[in-house]
Order: sequence, then C-alpha cells, then structure tokens
Amino acid sequence: MGIPTTPLVTRAFKELAILNVAKRGMPELRITFTPHPVASKTPEQLRAYVEGNDPVSGKPMMKEIVGALTDPLSNGEKKTGWVHVSIGPERYGPDTPKNLQQFYLDNGMTDFLPIIIPTEEEVSEMLKGTSHHPDEVVGKMAGGAYPPWSYTVKQVAINAVMAGCKPEYFPVILAIASSGTPSLMSSTNSFAYAAVINGPIRDKLNMNYGIGALGPFAAPNAAIGRAWTLVSRNLANGGVPGDTYMGSQGNNLNYNNLIMAENEAASPWVPLHVQKGFKAEENVVSLFRGLGIVPGQGARGTSTDTPKYEEQFSDLFSVFTGFFGGLVVADPLIAANLKERGYDTKDKLIDWLYKNTTQTVKDYKSRDFAYGFDYPRALKGLEPYKTWYAMSDDAVIPRWPHRDDINVVVLGGQTNAFFQGGSLSYTVSVSVDKWT
Amino acid sequence: MNRRALLSLLGASPALLSSLPAKARQTQSRTPLAKPSATQPQVVGLNPKGTPPPIQLIPMAPRLASLDGKTVWLVDTGFDGGGMLLDQIRLWFNQNLPAVKVIFRRKAGPYMEDDPALWKEIKEKGDAAVMAIGH
Repeated sequence: MGIPTTPLVTRAFKELAILNVAKRGMPELRITFTPHPVASKTPEQLRAYVEGNDPVSGKPMMKEIVGALTDPLSNGEKKTGWVHVSIGPERYGPDTPKNLQQFYLDNGMTDFLPIIIPTEEEVSEMLKGTSHHPDEVVGKMAGGAYPPWSYTVKQVAINAVMAGCKPEYFPVILAIASSGTPSLMSSTNSFAYAAVINGPIRDKLNMNYGIGALGPFAAPNAAIGRAWTLVSRNLANGGVPGDTYMGSQGNNLNYNNLIMAENEAASPWVPLHVQKGFKAEENVVSLFRGLGIVPGQGARGTSTDTPKYEEQFSDLFSVFTGFFGGLVVADPLIAANLKERGYDTKDKLIDWLYKNTTQTVKDYKSRDFAYGFDYPRALKGLEPYKTWYAMSDDAVIPRWPHRDDINVVVLGGQTNAFFQGGSLSYTVSVSVDKWT
Repeated sequence: MNRRALLSLLGASPALLSSLPAKARQTQSRTPLAKPSATQPQVVGLNPKGTPPPIQLIPMAPRLASLDGKTVWLVDTGFDGGGMLLDQIRLWFNQNLPAVKVIFRRKAGPYMEDDPALWKEIKEKGDAAVMAIGH
C-alpha cells in the first residue's frame, strides 16, 4: 500500500510468517506476535494479550506495534533487487544406496518410507513413458499461499521413480502434476486429496477397481498416489511442518492419497469423466480436495424397515461440514439397486441428495468454515451466502451451497452392498492422453 | 529460532539480511552425505526438487515520526477472534494514545483474498495500518 503496515500473527505461526514474508520479498517485515490462540478468547482475555508482551520479542505488544509503524528503517529494510534461491546440486553422490537413502530421508525429500534411488538410468527409463521432452515445463504448484515452484517433465520423472512407479504410470502422474494441485496443503486443517481415474488406461495399468479398490492391493493405485505426495513435497516445497504444512493433526490419507479407478464396466451409470465432458474412450484423472472419507453402511438398504441407500448417504453427509462437497463412493451392487428403484442416472441421485440433505441456518452459521469463508462472501453479496445469512436461525437450507458440490463414483468388488462418503470437493479433470 | 536460521530453511543465505543480496544464493543441506565405503557399490541420485521463483525484494514504506494526529486503519482479515483483538487495540489507543485516530475495517472476502478497494481507501485516507490476525 505504500504506507507503514504491520501484521499481527499468533506465536504458533512465527516460523511460517517469517518464511512466507521472506518468500514474498520482505525478509525484514516488522511482524508483531500475540499469544496463541486468539480464536475463542473472551474480550477480557484479548485485553490481557494487548496489555501484555509480544511472546517472541518479550517487549510490550503495543510498544512493538507503535514501533513497527514509527521506528526509522534500517538499510536492510530499504533494499531492492532480486534474490535467486538455490535448491542445491543437481546430483548427490556417488555414494552407497544405503547412505543415499538416509540422505534423502534426512533432507526432507521422502515420505519417511524407503524410496527408489532416482539414478540417471532409472529416470531415463521413466522418461520413456511419455513423448514429452524432459525439459518441457509441466506446470507450477504451491501448497499454500506462497509463490509457486515450477517443474519440468524430468523433475516429475525423478519423483515418479522415487515413488516406485513404472514408466507406463508416468502419463497419469504428469497429468496430476500439470494440474498444479498439491496433495499437501498448508492449512491448519489437515486436508485429504483424491484422484479418480477413468478410461481404458485403468485396465492397461492393471489398476484395481474391484475387491479392495481403496486398499493396498495394486501397484499402480499405490505408486501413483505416492508419487503425488512426493511431487507435492519436492516440486512444490510442500509438506514442510511449520513452513508449508500446518495441519494440526495431519491426515493419514496423505501417504498415497485416495486413488480411485472407477468400476466403469459394473456401473449402470456414465462414468465420472463423461459427466465432466470427456468421451468415454478418453483417459482422464479427476481431482478432489477435502477432509477425508468415511465408510457408510449399505447392506440392508433394500429392506422395508431400514433406510434406503440414498437416505443412508444423506445421513452420513449430514455430519460433514458443507464447506467441502459430498462424494458418494458406491459399490456396484448399490448402484444397481438405485437404478432399479428409478435413479437411472447419477444426476437423479444427486438431485435427491441436494434436496434432502439439509441443515438449519443456526447450525450452518456455527461452523468454522462458514464464518471464515462464507460470511465474507455474504458480505460481498455472493449467493447463496447472502440469502442464507439473512434467513432466520430455524430456517432449513441445503447442506451444500451448490448442487454441483455432489459427485458419485462407482467402485468395488460386489462382495457386499457397501459405500463410503467423502467430504471431498471436485476441483478439476485433466487429460492423461495429452501426456502419453 | 531467529530469522537467519529460518531463512536457511528457505534455502536462502542469511546474507539476504545483509547489504549484499547477491550473496544470498547458496543453500545448505541439513545433513551432509556420510563418508562412503570404498568396498560397496556406489550410485548417483538426482535432486528431486522443483524450481523456486526468484524473489524480488520489496523495500518497506517510510515510517512515521509519530502516530500523533495520524489515522491508523485496523484491518480484520477474517480469522476467528481477529476482529475482537483489534477492538481491544482500538480501545487501547483511545485510552493511551488519544491523539491517534483509529478506523476499523473488516476486509472483504475470505482471508486469502485481496481487497483492492480497501487497500485503495487506506492508501488515500490513512497513514498506517495494522492487520490481524494471522491465525
């Protein structure tokens, strides 16, 4: 703005704040720190913060704020110019594989599991999985509100090797990398990520969409998801606790994310990628972001004395925050039953879910996400938030702001009619064929 | 941990804080390679990292000699509790530095979105700003 400005940051975010302002060209920005947390404190408690000391400098907080705005600038604070940050040498070694394993681990380049050492030979082999030039820029990515890093085909290949991928998996990984979507996000919420793969490539790679589809039962399902995490960590500098990762509890799904190959042959409905505008014969990966996935029940959904499947979906989603979308992951047995009962398209099921999964305005307003994200949108006049915030507390509104927040995927081995519900929002679909 | 140590985590030399920004280039691995054994087979591993963008240094705005008679904008970014904290800061100014005029604003949109209209207003009418809260 060109006028003296000082940010206040709670003590828990000191390292993140200092590193991020440095990344944005202000390494000596005058930041004042408060005790943590500020949220959920009474006015009296916050008054004590204001009258107390900055927990980092130890000096009176208000004196720090006034000083930040009035103390003369140092030479360092007046500097201009450019800084080019190095990522270190192109190669490590030569050394024993054991030593190199430890080196990659100790320097934050793994997911804390053993990797395949990315030698020039391994990477050259991986590069055969695509026709794209090794030096071609694939995209850029940032796992938070900091300037993104960019990466080439070869840099993606190095991480794909580390994850244990085969060259034939490489186009899928390139497609994910080209989206710029990290699977490690800096938020204090511990986000989860999912990728749905559609098209003939599922069978070409022998991906699992039958029994144990979401579990550790197929190499491509495991390695593709793991590669996404390593790409996010290394190519985007993501997942560094205290700097680019602040998830308070973490999310176990980040190890290899939710990789879902849709069981297109067993589904009575069009596959997800066709819903998103692609042709059935195209190979596509669709990405989702949210908080995770929870098993539902299913099984007795066709009995006369138990809730129907769609009602069970709705019940499960009723405890999810509506900030993220709803993803129904249904076994083909459930999909077949729903079709028999009149849901001959995914759209009809989605219409029912949107209409019948509701909440009161009071409950909606009480949620953290609503306060932080939707209320500001309401103030800007965006719908439906503006209308929702104007309604009475006992009014009933949909669980999600938009019908398109709900998606449906069919997978599973049909050993029983079960389902899982994801608190996951669809973000983007990317062509895999482009990267072959 | 001070800023110099933290900057090394960024991959930037603490020279970033010196008068010679051109020296702020070299990154240091936190743990060097162990001494290799001459009898075991050896390989070379490639660096898996992406390419960070160059950083353009932004000089700080000139500071005020004093806040007396000046207008300070208190900007709520939208994090829970930030507005209440700023209200206590407003009260502190009223009680301790009554010569300072304080104006409170909540930034439009979620915390991660810019509010160009507010920045313009502050730049035109304000002398200084305090933004809260980073969580």
